[in-house]
Amino acid sequence: MPIVCLGLNHRTAPVTVRERFALPEGELHVLLGALRERTVAKEAVILSTCNRVEIYAATEDEPQVLLNELRAFLLKDREVDADPDEIFYEHAGESAVRHLFNVASGLDSMVLGETEILGQLKAAYQLALDQKATSGRLNKAFQKAFNVAKQIRTETNIQRGSVSVANVAVELAGKIFDELNDRTVMVIGAGDTSEKTARALLSRGARSVMVSNRSYDRAKDLADELGGRAVDYDHWETEFAAIDIIISSTSAPHYVIDRKKLEPLQGIRQHRPLLLVDIAVPRDIEPEVNFMEDVYLYNIDDLQAIAGNYLRLRHEEIVKCESIVDATTRELIESLNVSPVPRRQNPPLSSAGEASAAQS
Amino acid sequence: MGKVSAPLNWTDKTYFCCAVTLYGIAMVYSVFLWRKGFQRDDWVVYGVLAGGLVLHTVAMAKRGFNLQTCPINNLYEATAFIMWTIVAVNLVAGIWQRFRFVGAFASPLLFVLGVFALFPDLDPELANGAHEFSGALSSLHKALLMLSFGGFGLSAIGAVMYLTQEKDLKMHKFRAILSKLPSLERLETAMTRLVWIAFGLLTAGLITSSAYLHQVKQVWFKADPEMIWVMGVWAFYLVLLVLQKRHAHSGRRFAWCALGSFLFVLLTFWGVYLLSPLHQTSNAVS
Repeated sequence: MPIVCLGLNHRTAPVTVRERFALPEGELHVLLGALRERTVAKEAVILSTCNRVEIYAATEDEPQVLLNELRAFLLKDREVDADPDEIFYEHAGESAVRHLFNVASGLDSMVLGETEILGQLKAAYQLALDQKATSGRLNKAFQKAFNVAKQIRTETNIQRGSVSVANVAVELAGKIFDELNDRTVMVIGAGDTSEKTARALLSRGARSVMVSNRSYDRAKDLADELGGRAVDYDHWETEFAAIDIIISSTSAPHYVIDRKKLEPLQGIRQHRPLLLVDIAVPRDIEPEVNFMEDVYLYNIDDLQAIAGNYLRLRHEEIVKCESIVDATTRELIESLNVSPVPRRQNPPLSSAGEASAAQS
Repeated sequence: MGKVSAPLNWTDKTYFCCAVTLYGIAMVYSVFLWRKGFQRDDWVVYGVLAGGLVLHTVAMAKRGFNLQTCPINNLYEATAFIMWTIVAVNLVAGIWQRFRFVGAFASPLLFVLGVFALFPDLDPELANGAHEFSGALSSLHKALLMLSFGGFGLSAIGAVMYLTQEKDLKMHKFRAILSKLPSLERLETAMTRLVWIAFGLLTAGLITSSAYLHQVKQVWFKADPEMIWVMGVWAFYLVLLVLQKRHAHSGRRFAWCALGSFLFVLLTFWGVYLLSPLHQTSNAVS
């Protein structure tokens, strides 16, 4: 009974196509039932995330028959401008298992090595398990996939480091400050990336956050969301003594923070380190401030360069990951191909001597 | 059964030479760690230094038992004592993973000090009963002073770690993120605490020196070059700590001061020791 996989992802389909195939989480259990009724699939798991929609299934029939039926199942009632042959990919047997392992390990993700997909895959499998939509084959394959993901995480550096600007900023803070749980963050300009960065810092324990924006209402909204407080944009410097990290992302055409403004303020901070994260374009912080003692300035290019370096390191690990995936795939395929040994009442005697001993 | 051969008759110097060799191996491996940005194999240097410490301890113990006193009677012994303090504290700090790379910074210093200590002139043979300073106060004041210099040495190593990390962060080097070195704040805290501890030991060392001088010469102070020098070092570190306490200077400046101060101690200690009539009259073979 071979395992097959049919799906589409960020590589084969743009978001305009993917959004048409997105399957609502609340309807997945209904879809699982319908899938097994309308196709030759004996077992099935449906994975639907923002970057991929995939169906893993096992059948006693010809794999291609099932793959055609799965395709028809997904295309039903959907109008798609793109050519289905281009947006869908199909895997059967060993290839399907290998693909599942790659997905579970984040090797097939948009951000190489990311771990969110593993959680989503576990949730999809759990749902299928609850619906009794899986049996021997898929259970074995998914359990193995989770093991492979764990092995890759522990034995390789595929998940090492941060590949998002927000998390790189958090890592930098960790290199400067002993602990983040007594730090105060100020967000100047309520942009999306600055919000994400502030959230990342807060999730790692930063004590409080202040938000300053040209529009006070917007600052207040964001401050409420982050559990912080809004600060008047024209007087944010008054809070400077307490600040350890500044994330700036205004749309101002000039520098919001320059050396002339910062130098007298640093004195009142008693030479505590200050991390400045400038994610605005054009830049909000004069580059000269990086020459000041105890001040560490990183702009968007610096952060992206670090994220890019991490990504490069992750790519260097792909070969190691692939060898783990290959070995485990072969192991699983071999174990799936071995027919179950029939149970015997009396084990056979292995030698003539033992046979005669039994007779006597 | 063949007769078991007798064990090698190793002297304390032989053990010390082996320890210095291990420090040299650790130094060579440290170069590799520097190039790799302190990302891995933090146990190697730690393990090699631990092996060195065992041999070093045996060397000092043998010398101490031979002399029946704390073995700080000449430059070789003083240097060996400072080195021992640095290795011991380094290994204790290395129990915490974030401080394990201290060894990579300490090993070059240990190797250089070790080679220096092995210069033949630094370890003249002592005549029987030639120790002018004997007894508890004698051993105590020497041990306290040497321990304090070891502490200052460790703070200087912390300073090098701080300056390395600070420079990499300022220059936006990727290795600043990859390295397993502690955060700047933690390094500054460690550096400051080490200077405080060493300063306390130095103060205690000065007091016991004075007490011992009073015991043997009935004076509390003598215008001996080494005594004046130690007081000068004490005053310098006092100013450094007061400024740090008042937040008058940044972590970077404090690191430079800690490093510069120890280099000054390192470069002048030997000269001052040789100039000191108080310490020289008794040590050479009469």
